Parts: sequence; C-alpha cells; structure tokens
Amino acid sequence: MNFIFHSVRWRLQLWHALILMGVIVALCMLAHKLVVDARRERIDRELESFERAFMKSFWEMPSQKKKEDRPPTTAEIRERFLSLDDPSKFPLELRDLFDPDASESTYLVFWDGSCQTLFRSANAPADLQFPKVAVALDPITRMRGNFRELVHGGPRGFRVVVGRDVSSDRAALQQLGWQIAGSGALLWLLGLLGGWWLAGRAIEPIAAISQTASRIAEGKLSERIDVADADNELSRLSQVLNDTFDRLASAIQRQREFTADASHELRTPLTVILSETSRGLKRERTAEEYKEIISTCSHAATRMRSLVESLLILARQDGYPPESHGESTDLSSVVTDTIQLLQPLADQKGIQIRSDLQSARCLADSNSLAIVAGNLISNAILHQPAGGEAVVSIFCEDQRVILEVTDRGPGIAPEHLPRLFDRFYRVDPARGPASGHSGLGLAIVQAVVENRNGTVGVRSEPGKGATFRVSLPALVEE
Amino acid sequence: MRLLIIEDDPLLLRSLSAGLREEGYAVDTAADGEDGLFKAVSQTYDCIVLDGMLPVFDGWEVLRRLRVEKTTPVLMLTARDAVPDRIRGLDCGADDYLTKPFDSDELLARIRALIRRSSGQASNRVEIGGVVIDTAARNVSLRGEIVALTPREYSLVEYLARHRGSVVNRTELYEHLFDEDDDTLSNLLDVHVSNIRKKLGADFITTRRGHGYCIE
Repeated sequence: MNFIFHSVRWRLQLWHALILMGVIVALCMLAHKLVVDARRERIDRELESFERAFMKSFWEMPSQKKKEDRPPTTAEIRERFLSLDDPSKFPLELRDLFDPDASESTYLVFWDGSCQTLFRSANAPADLQFPKVAVALDPITRMRGNFRELVHGGPRGFRVVVGRDVSSDRAALQQLGWQIAGSGALLWLLGLLGGWWLAGRAIEPIAAISQTASRIAEGKLSERIDVADADNELSRLSQVLNDTFDRLASAIQRQREFTADASHELRTPLTVILSETSRGLKRERTAEEYKEIISTCSHAATRMRSLVESLLILARQDGYPPESHGESTDLSSVVTDTIQLLQPLADQKGIQIRSDLQSARCLADSNSLAIVAGNLISNAILHQPAGGEAVVSIFCEDQRVILEVTDRGPGIAPEHLPRLFDRFYRVDPARGPASGHSGLGLAIVQAVVENRNGTVGVRSEPGKGATFRVSLPALVEE
Repeated sequence: MRLLIIEDDPLLLRSLSAGLREEGYAVDTAADGEDGLFKAVSQTYDCIVLDGMLPVFDGWEVLRRLRVEKTTPVLMLTARDAVPDRIRGLDCGADDYLTKPFDSDELLARIRALIRRSSGQASNRVEIGGVVIDTAARNVSLRGEIVALTPREYSLVEYLARHRGSVVNRTELYEHLFDEDDDTLSNLLDVHVSNIRKKLGADFITTRRGHGYCIE
C-alpha cells in the first residue's frame, strides 16, 4: 500500500480518479436535476391544461337555467357542479374523473369558500382535504405523498385542487437516475483507464532517466540519457542532467588522473631507492660506490619530500574552509622576504631580480602569500637563460592588490596556456620530476589564490617572456 | 645478453643500468620515447625494459611503433598500476608488465624469463656434455664443479648455448654482448673465447673461420 503513495504514477492516478469522479458526479446530478425539473414542469402544465379543459367543458355544459347576463351565484355554480354526473357529456380525456378505479388519472376537487365540497371527482384520493394554505389566484404546486397537486383559489373563496398520482413518473425518474449513475460510472472507469495510460506515458521517460542515472551511479560514467528530439520539460531536464554528468565525469576523470600522476611521481623515486639499496646490498663494494648509492637514494628521498610537501599544500587548499580568511598581510613585505630567499638561486642562474613594490595589504595569511610569490618568482628565475631578468611588481587597482611577475624567457606557446595551471602539467615533458619540477607549483598558486577570492592569470607570447598576474582583494583601511 | 632501458628518470635509469650491468648484461639506455624507439629498431636487443610515461612519445606509443618492425621481448615498467593501463600495455605488444616500485630481483627474474622464452627454452638449465649452464643462478659448472667466469664470459657462453648448434657470427655476438659504450673494434671477443676454452675445455666452443663461433 505504501508504494502507492511513493509512486508518481499511482498518485497521479489517485488525483485523477478523485477529480474525474467529482466532475462526473456533478454532471450526473445536474443532468438528473434538469430531467426532474423538466418532468415536474410538464406535469404542472398538464395539470393546468387539464383544469382549463375541464372548466371549458363545465361551462359549455347546457344548463336548465336560462342564461343571464351576470356572473353565476355560488348556489348556481354548486347546482351546476351537482348536476355533473354524466361522463358521456364530457370529452374522452375527462371521463376518467367519474371512474373510481382510474386512480392513475388526473383528479379534480372543488370547494367553495365555506369548505363545502362542490365537486369531487370519483378518482380523487380519499385523504384529500380542504387545502388550508393561503391561496391566491395564481396556482401553487405542492407534493402530497405520491401526488402532485396544483392548488389555486378563485373568486369567493373557491378552492381547486387538480392532482395526479406521479408514482409512475417517479419510478421512471428513478430508473433514469440509475441509468445516469451507471453511465457515469462507466465513463469514470474509461477515464481511469485513459488516465493510467497517460500517466504511464508521462512517467516512461522519467523511468528511462532514472535507469540511466542509476547505471551512471553504478560507475558507468560514459552513459548518458537519450535526449528526445522534442523540446519539452523532460528533454530539457535530460539535457541539464547530461551536462551535470559530463561535468561530474570530467571532475572524476581529473581526480583520477591526479591520483595516478601523484602516485607515479611518488613511485619513481621510491623505485630508485629500492633498486639502489638492493643493488648496494648484493655484494661488497668500495666506499666510493656506497657513497654514490647513498647519494642517489638521498636525491630520490629529497624529491619525494618536496613532492609530498606540495601534495600536502594542495590537499590543505582543497579542504580550505572559506571563512578562515586569515589575518591581513602586507603583500610587499612578504614578497621582499621571498626575493631575499631566492636571491642566491638567481645569482647562481645569472638572473637579475628587479622589483617595484607598493605597500598593499590584503586579506590572506603570510604563509600562503609566500608560497604564491615563491613559486612565481622561482619559476621566473628557472625558466629563462642566464643574463635574464625577473620583474616583480605590486600595485593597487580597483580595490584589488595586483602582483605581477614577468620574465624575459622564451615564453609559453599558446597551446599550453589553457592547461598551464593543471596539476602535473609540464610544458616541456623532458623537464621532468628529476629536474626538481613537481609540476604542481602553478596548481598550488592557483588553489591558494582562488581560495582567497583572488584570480591568477598569465600573458605570454613565444619569444617574449611571460607575465603572471595575481589579483587579490585589497583590505580597505577604515 | 644486450638490453635496452628506456626510462626518463635519470636516477632510475642510472640505478637500473648499473644493476643490470653488474649482472653481466650489456645495457644501452635511452631517456625518451623517440631515442628509445630509434635504438630499439636499429639494434637487436635480447630484451627491452620500457617505462610507460616518457617524453616525446610514451611507452605505449613506442611499443605500437616497435611492434611493426620487431618482436624483441619488452618488459613494461610503469607506475600506472590500474588494470586498464596494464591491459593496454600487454595489448600493445608488451610481453610482461611490472609496476613501480618493484623488487629488483623480480625485475632480473622476469628479464631472464623473457630472454629464455624468446629463445624457445623452457628450463633454466642447459646441459652441454659435462657442462651445465644455470641461467637463473648465472653460473656454469663443469662435471659438478662451478667454474668461475667473468660476467661477460658467462654471457658469451649463455648466448652461444641458447643458439646451440647454429653458427653465431662475430657481429651478432658483439651486438648482444657489448653495449653502445664498448669499443666493438677491439679483439675482446677473441680474448673471451680463449679464456672460456681454457676454463671449459678447448673443444667447448668451435671456431668456424669466416663465419663465427658455435657450441655443438
């Protein structure tokens, strides 16, 4: 039972059934009421015309008295009524009035103002009494048991009741009611079937989407929802889902590549250490040979250490909580320290560092800023031939602190620029891990800067050097 | 036995080649895919140790191009241990696959197995008259006594034993026993052959003048 409320199809069906039932019941009741009203009106008209026909015959009846040119008195009328005993003087349709067995036919009773019965047709029901209701000349209609009666008064307190037994009409109406109810129910069932089919058709693409999505969840990342050509809500939803899956798949793919690359970078020096130590232990060697083996191991271990440090910095950036924006730091003092640290490397490579540093405070901790500056400046030193120049400048622009590091090296080819900040991306594959490049430096710069609401970009033309530009939100002094 | 190591990491390349040379192999090295492929195609090696991630073109590409021309046994050596990578390597024509970090003894054993299989032998023991060559332990015994051979002498004996019955010419011997750094014009080969004859008997290796050497 529970699944009915957890299935869209069943819920649609349930609502559909309820609404359809409401509409059909209302329609059937309306139809029934219209038929009943029409039938009642017809009966009333019949009764009226019956009375008129009777009165016509009544007045046309030949009277013993000489006709005088005045309205007949009550006594005269009573006399006239009393003389009505011969059915044969009446038209055929009125003759039932004199037949006590014709209880199905219309009956007629006249009273005068003093409740005296003037005329009572033979087929009138025995319990019909003088109507005590206040009656005007206009007729009123009433139901008395199974009888429909038309009551109206006349001059001098006359009362007329014309009535008819309507039980047969009632039975007919009841039957009609059942017929309407039956066809209503049939219509409802047909509607339910149609609704079930429609709901099924509406649900079908959703079921397909859910199946594809669960296959993707199981790990088949290349699966995509089949987007129908029609431009409707579901195909748009499918498109949105497919785009999401694409992005997720590429994120997962990047993550996988990163893990594979990281493990590759770590495994190689580890292999060196294992291979060197096992070679060293195989036989007795000279001190010189041992020295060489240990030095190789030490190199490999140093590489592993710097890689592990880089990976740790990156991992910390990945889990960096956005609220902890550290203290405010003067970028220029951090950069000055960094340049001092890197000066020996620059001297060794024959590179001159020029700096133009404006004091600028920004919201970031000095450690992170030192990582950014260190990576960019050491890149500038390492990526150009001796005699080159690295220009470091800090300035403020539109509430932002800008750090620019420019080198006069060979520049970066345009095809490398989009992937330059990718982890383990190396412009020159030969400049591998052995040369001390983890391939993570710029990725770390990007992660650190973006975590502090900054941006990092690069401009470069082959042969004309490269400029890295970091933009961080400036701290406005209050 | 002459090997080619294609590996971009200079530390590992140096360590591997030193280890293999100490085992008596002649070892050539290449630091990128292009150089490696050139050497692999132009020389005849008994086995190639190939790294997966290489500059210029990667190990799988080297394999694909190499297999067009040669059937040299290739042992792939990579840090990528995911099953699809291994399948890709084997499908591209690698004969064996070893993931970093590996045990260097295992690497040696696998290289021996590859060389043995490529010369159509199933066993590590080759018996020629009273001489037994154990290719796993890399030693030679004469009538039960182990004979002390230098690595190069051992390699020469092993190579001729693997091609037992056929005449191996000097060029081929030079190609398989000496690496690119050795001076192939020297008369080292004759010196080695005469030393072996002294240790294992004068008729162990026969000389076919103008053709080469042979173990009957």
